[in-house]
Amino acid sequence: MVMMLPFLTGLLAVWFGLAGRRGASIVCWGLTLALLALWSRFHMTDSLPISL
Amino acid sequence: MHAPVFLAQPPLASRLMNTLVLAGLCGVMGMALAWQLIYDELPCPLCLLQRVGFLLAGIGVILNLRFGPSPLHYGMIILSALGGAAVSGRQVLLHIAPGDPGYGSLFLGLHFYTWALILFIALIAYAGVMLLLERPASGPLPALRPRPLIALLMWLFLVLAAANLLSTVLECGLGPCADDPVRYELLSLTS
Repeated sequence: MVMMLPFLTGLLAVWFGLAGRRGASIVCWGLTLALLALWSRFHMTDSLPISL
Repeated sequence: MHAPVFLAQPPLASRLMNTLVLAGLCGVMGMALAWQLIYDELPCPLCLLQRVGFLLAGIGVILNLRFGPSPLHYGMIILSALGGAAVSGRQVLLHIAPGDPGYGSLFLGLHFYTWALILFIALIAYAGVMLLLERPASGPLPALRPRPLIALLMWLFLVLAAANLLSTVLECGLGPCADDPVRYELLSLTS
């Protein structure tokens, strides 16, 4: 799990947005969101100290 | 097929609101980074993922300013904020038990992850309100030439995103981050 990866794809999405390439920006945004979900799953496995 | 837009030339109120939100997101990203550098407090993995949430939301705002407001862009903001809220909410719950000192410093009486949860909920509310107020239009989606202040904010956001990438590489290297980081992994390799 590479923690810097979502920052890299997010940076690319911002860059494409600024460069006027909307489609590429949205694709990179989607990739970053998917990475956020995957990385969250990796880091959110401990049991909570409360009963929900 | 062109994506739906509200108006090819968005009204002043829409531009102003999106500009203010982008300025706020620049403030959040900049402050997180400044706090990390000034107080030498390394962000935990969940803290870094919350920064990703703000970065994602900022992309939707930038597309609103660059191409005109669109339901797709507001949807991107909502999904981004939901992702960030899930992470920050989880961190709030991790430290909610009585006697738990929480993680990191307090800012105005709250931990940063609590502020993050509040801001993510505010972003969802903002996008919802804008979806109600924006007027629909159809047609192609030309890139707008941003005004100087808006362009400056967009470039600042890009620089902050790049700085966060650099900071994360220094802290975690090209692998996962420690749960409770105390040093920059990449810098400790060179010393």
